[in-house]
Amino acid sequence: MPSKRRHEGYLLVDHRNSPGVPFNPALAGKPDALVTPQGQMLESATVTCSHCNIIVVLNPQRTRERGYCPKCDHYVCDSPLCNRDCTPIKALLDTAQERALRNLADENQACFHLNQP
Amino acid sequence: MAKFSLNNPSFTTEAVADGANRTDATYLALLGGSSTQRNSIIEVYAGGQATSSAPQYLLLARDSTVGGTLSGGRTAALDAANSGVSSAPTGFTTATTKPQRSSTLSLLNLTFNAFGGIVRWVAAPGEEIYTVGNTASLGEIGLSGFTGTTAGLIGAHIIFEPA
Repeated sequence: MPSKRRHEGYLLVDHRNSPGVPFNPALAGKPDALVTPQGQMLESATVTCSHCNIIVVLNPQRTRERGYCPKCDHYVCDSPLCNRDCTPIKALLDTAQERALRNLADENQACFHLNQP
Repeated sequence: MAKFSLNNPSFTTEAVADGANRTDATYLALLGGSSTQRNSIIEVYAGGQATSSAPQYLLLARDSTVGGTLSGGRTAALDAANSGVSSAPTGFTTATTKPQRSSTLSLLNLTFNAFGGIVRWVAAPGEEIYTVGNTASLGEIGLSGFTGTTAGLIGAHIIFEPA
């Protein structure tokens, strides 16, 4: 039986030989503003939000339930929009790609007509 | 399809706000090769080369303004036998029309200190970050320093696969 863990990516922040970073308030609200202090190394699993493509660093201390979309069988981020409707990013990209292909086809068609005697 | 490495072996980052012009040679970006091309970002790595403490708030984000007249990126196929791809995507570090980071489409935060620090992200198969086309905001992606970044020397690469 497939596990959700198959969706997990990997993040490494290595500050074992570095002064590390202080917390920056400007980053509040940005995706998973992680801080790894001096002398420490962070290895963490990440998941990709199926609806907006953002990368979520999994915090092992988290107790709240994670967003999950049963329709596309993927984790989603904490954004209310991503938790409301099932709008997979892959479908959006497919649509954008299809639209671009159609535009190209239309342009080719127009060129063909222009070149007709 | 073949995998490629886009890299910039050494460059000095800068702090730049969302929606502001990025300065040449302070970032690493990838623009799709055609209006229909899709690229998947498989890995992002940055290693510090600074000689004093320089916290980096690197964001991998979509660009709301794509670069024009591009140069500077080093792109190489991972497979030596690869004969190239039609409509190759363009990796770049300098542009005449300056790219601007989207204020809403930040995808990955890679915070580390360029004085001895290393950061690396790898996607699980099928969970990559995607771009499509070669226009804003889905067609270009960039790795750049967010507000608060201390300018510092780093090297970085992005492994991607055009489809």
